[in-house]
Amino acid sequence: MRAEALKGHLDGILLAVLEAGPCHGYAIMEALRVRSGGQVDLPTGTVYPALHRLERAGLVRASWSEAGGRRRRVYELTPAGLRSLDTERGAWRDFSATVTTLLRPAPLATRASP
Amino acid sequence: MTRQGPPASAAGPAVECYLAEVAGRLPGPDRGRDGIVAELRSGLLDAMDAYQSAGLPTDQAVQAAIREFGDPGRVADGFRAEIAAAQARRVVVTLLVTGPLVGLLWIATAMSSHLGIRFAVPWQRAGLGASLGTGLGTGLLLVAVAVGVTAWAGVIGIASTGRLTRWLTAPPRLAPTAAAVAGFGAVSADSLGLVLLAVQLAAVPGKLSPVPAIAAAAASVTRLLLARRAARQCLALRASLA
Repeated sequence: MRAEALKGHLDGILLAVLEAGPCHGYAIMEALRVRSGGQVDLPTGTVYPALHRLERAGLVRASWSEAGGRRRRVYELTPAGLRSLDTERGAWRDFSATVTTLLRPAPLATRASP
Repeated sequence: MTRQGPPASAAGPAVECYLAEVAGRLPGPDRGRDGIVAELRSGLLDAMDAYQSAGLPTDQAVQAAIREFGDPGRVADGFRAEIAAAQARRVVVTLLVTGPLVGLLWIATAMSSHLGIRFAVPWQRAGLGASLGTGLGTGLLLVAVAVGVTAWAGVIGIASTGRLTRWLTAPPRLAPTAAAVAGFGAVSADSLGLVLLAVQLAAVPGKLSPVPAIAAAAASVTRLLLARRAARQCLALRASLA
């Protein structure tokens, strides 16, 4: 699945990954691959800038931390990020329920006759 | 200052070569670029570790990690809007913080100078001819306009790069445009202030209080030069988003 297909939902998806706990950039990219069963493989040039944007908006907090002799920039959800994730989830549930209803095949009796 | 990211030597020449290619394509000042490169370096090392854990020898793991991160140009392109927004925000915050400080120095100059009028600004008409006085009055008005433009552009720059972006999506070119306008507004305000001070100095020498006047002039010259450079950088960043 390409990044364009997720347009508008990338922020919510990244926030959802971080809901489990603080994570660095590459671990977030891997989590997206694993959680989507390999369907989502977002490019570096999409994920890292999006994380910086979320940080600027105050939805995630970033800090350099050292583990196993390697320094990494670790991201974590802020309370505002958690609230934004809840809002995104609600909006997505409404949207997907509506589209699912609209895409459902109409019963034969109600189909418009030619 | 704390060093950011892992040391360059840990990554190996292939990774460093890749990172240099990305860095070469990133616009903007070194400071933002260094942080991004350090973060990408640690990500590449993590990717390399993952491939090694999966059984690849080191050299193949490095190549696989680089392939995974993708074309350096595309990676750099992804950061352009973010670099522009972050730099624009730094510029407008600096201008909005330094503006009142420089203004206070000018007010201190006016209040401590002997111009014959209490709370008179240094370019007040005191002791000047009518035409010169009118010219200086107009100059003062222009300073006020320049300060107003800087402040408004600064507010737009802050709004389009901060927490409001949670709810509002600003076009990528808005923030660098606002920052460039704020920068050139500050350049205009400081230049006009210095010109008016010079006129005052020539017209009624000996009336200005030297210490605050020199401090205000030095602050304005410094800010003028820095604001001009920052505004040009923002214009270049704006152009890179085209």
